[in-house]
Amino acid sequence: MAKKTKQKATRSKAPQKNSRNGRPSPASLSQERTYTIVDYRLEKPAFELRQVRDGDAVHYEVTGTLSAPVPSIRDSRYLSKQQCIEIYRWMLLNRRMEAALENLYKQGKVVGGVYFGLGQEACSCASAYALKPDEWLGPMIRNQGSLLVRGFSARDIMMQYMAKVGSPTKGRDASSHFGDIQKRNVVAPISTLGDLIPVLAGVALGARLQGKNIAVMTYIGDGGQSTGVTYEGLNFAAVQNLGLVLFVENNLWGYSTPANMQFRVEDLAERAIAYGIPGVIVDGTDACQVYDAAHEACERARRGEGPTLIEAKMMRMKGHAIHDAAEYVPRALFEYWKKRDPIARFESYLLNVKRWLTREQHETLVAAVDAELEADREFAVASPMPSPETAAGGAYCENGCHEIRPKYGVPKVKAGKAAASQCAEATVHLK
Amino acid sequence: MPQLTYLEAIRQGIWEEMERDPTVFCIGEDIGIYGGAFKVTDGFIDRFGPERVIDTPIAESAIVGAAFGAALTGMRPVAEFQFMDFIGCAFNQITNMVAKSHYRWGAPAPLVIRGPSGGNVHGGPFHSQNPEAYFVHAPGLKVVCPATAYDAKGLMKAAIRDNNPVIFFEHKYLYRRIKEDVPADDYVVPLGKARVARAGRDLSIVTYAAMVHVALEAAELLSQEGIEIEILDLRTLSPLDREAIAATVRRTNKLIVLHEDVRTGGIAGEISAIINEDAFESLDGPIVRLTAPDTPVPFSPPQEEYFLPKVSDVVREARRLLAY
Repeated sequence: MAKKTKQKATRSKAPQKNSRNGRPSPASLSQERTYTIVDYRLEKPAFELRQVRDGDAVHYEVTGTLSAPVPSIRDSRYLSKQQCIEIYRWMLLNRRMEAALENLYKQGKVVGGVYFGLGQEACSCASAYALKPDEWLGPMIRNQGSLLVRGFSARDIMMQYMAKVGSPTKGRDASSHFGDIQKRNVVAPISTLGDLIPVLAGVALGARLQGKNIAVMTYIGDGGQSTGVTYEGLNFAAVQNLGLVLFVENNLWGYSTPANMQFRVEDLAERAIAYGIPGVIVDGTDACQVYDAAHEACERARRGEGPTLIEAKMMRMKGHAIHDAAEYVPRALFEYWKKRDPIARFESYLLNVKRWLTREQHETLVAAVDAELEADREFAVASPMPSPETAAGGAYCENGCHEIRPKYGVPKVKAGKAAASQCAEATVHLK
Repeated sequence: MPQLTYLEAIRQGIWEEMERDPTVFCIGEDIGIYGGAFKVTDGFIDRFGPERVIDTPIAESAIVGAAFGAALTGMRPVAEFQFMDFIGCAFNQITNMVAKSHYRWGAPAPLVIRGPSGGNVHGGPFHSQNPEAYFVHAPGLKVVCPATAYDAKGLMKAAIRDNNPVIFFEHKYLYRRIKEDVPADDYVVPLGKARVARAGRDLSIVTYAAMVHVALEAAELLSQEGIEIEILDLRTLSPLDREAIAATVRRTNKLIVLHEDVRTGGIAGEISAIINEDAFESLDGPIVRLTAPDTPVPFSPPQEEYFLPKVSDVVREARRLLAY
């Protein structure tokens, strides 16, 4: 029986030429198979989490190397100085917008909860940045940064949380549950997890039928990847060679359940092997790593070579939502990941390592972000709630409210005879 | 005019739409070279190619999700479910992702989910179900249940052209058992319009799909006694043709609602409520529900015969109601 060799033998920091798409390298066919998982990280966190009983209470305890030195940002192979600064700006906007949302919540202006992407801004923003305008993205609840990169404004997101009539869903849905099929090519998520994966695969299928291979991107968490539809969607994309870029955001917690109670593999990128597609690991707190992996996966998608699974490792630095103080998370884990803050490290990289920004330029940039947010906050707060009767209607597309037409051009079809031929007798077992 | 079976009419409807509109494509399990479990798409892959006749893994959520995604780019997918019994596997995609999309974020989902439903074929609990009521209960979806070959073709063409998600239940008992004149030319039967399948003055039966034929047979028997039954074939369950339902009761003043689906939570309850709201004063007797009992569809033929509403049941209930 062939078996998969584990860990070091199967990992490399760069793609190996003799192993592609999860296929075995020829040299090892006789006894064992080896598979390559590309790992871009500059460090590999090594700690374990387990449930321990302490008197009458059970809690999580972390053991391992928590004092490792903080790695630098890995130089991008693709990003220019200007692009790095742009991504940094999106990340800053993402974080400061969420801080503003937290304040709005405390002021009682938010309806329902607030979901945060704190600590995950590099993953949201740098991944979405790799898409072209005519490509598609399906965000998860924490990917508010991705929505900003795709062209929504902070006021759109704020108005969603405040249930304002001017929000993208006109008050009908909350948080990042909105999209745009006309301009920004964003699919609105639903609350259940994994369901965007086949949908984004279908978007790529639709584009391909219209003659264009595009990259489509969506996300799933370490918790959400446990769902069946995750398997169905990614397997379908793999079988059909559709240009899906799936970011598996391993932020270590699915609500209150740690990752090691969601799956048994060491790295979720290993799942790619079983789909027959490339699997990549990045440090989700390093915008350059995230972008490079996303860019390579998007290029592969545009060449019509199929999907890629990218596991981004990081930690959710707040609770599941604003109501959740995340007291189940060992403090030592917060301290470890706080040192790896994606924005502080990227800032230091741009200012001190690369010297692409001076202090003054940075201050100007931060001030511009704050001014934009303040204007958006004021606009959102001042905008009206929907009138009650706007809840009615709209469940159906009717009376010409939308024109359906192919987005990338009319599909080319085979010319042929016009009449349906006779069909065969049924051969099902039912009579 | 050529005579087509119900199945051939469905097939011709899809085929014509694929000829007419290059954005229409088929996706499902075993629909390509094999032509589908019931051969509805037999020969399609030869004519339209594997790009437009896509065999999928056995993954119903992926089929619906992918159809929805393609629809967002302006395609008009026709997704086949091998049996409508398996639609439960994709329930979340259909009711949460697809059905709510236009209301939530203004994204139309012009797709058709079609497949065989219904019993009387000894298929047992997982190949005989009538799961239409679940989807009538989901705003944003349309639900179609044709009873005749003519309607099956015209409704299929209307469903494909509709800008909303349509769940199209094909009654598998009818597939090759009914045959009628079906125009070879382009026509549509609009969604949401019921049809008087038989005019009568004494009593109305509101029904759909295979039960239309059971009702017609019962009406013929009763006609020999001078009793004239009116039969309203709903054609679509969502939207329901409220006006036609109220109008038939206003004409006959007595109503049996007949369906093959189980009783509790079935569409008969909804139709009774519509009469209560719109035509209460026209009633000269209680509304009678004639449905399958509240059990799964049994496998063994004597049990299945017990389970399904029959001509004799209709005759019995009609006589009982006429005595009021």
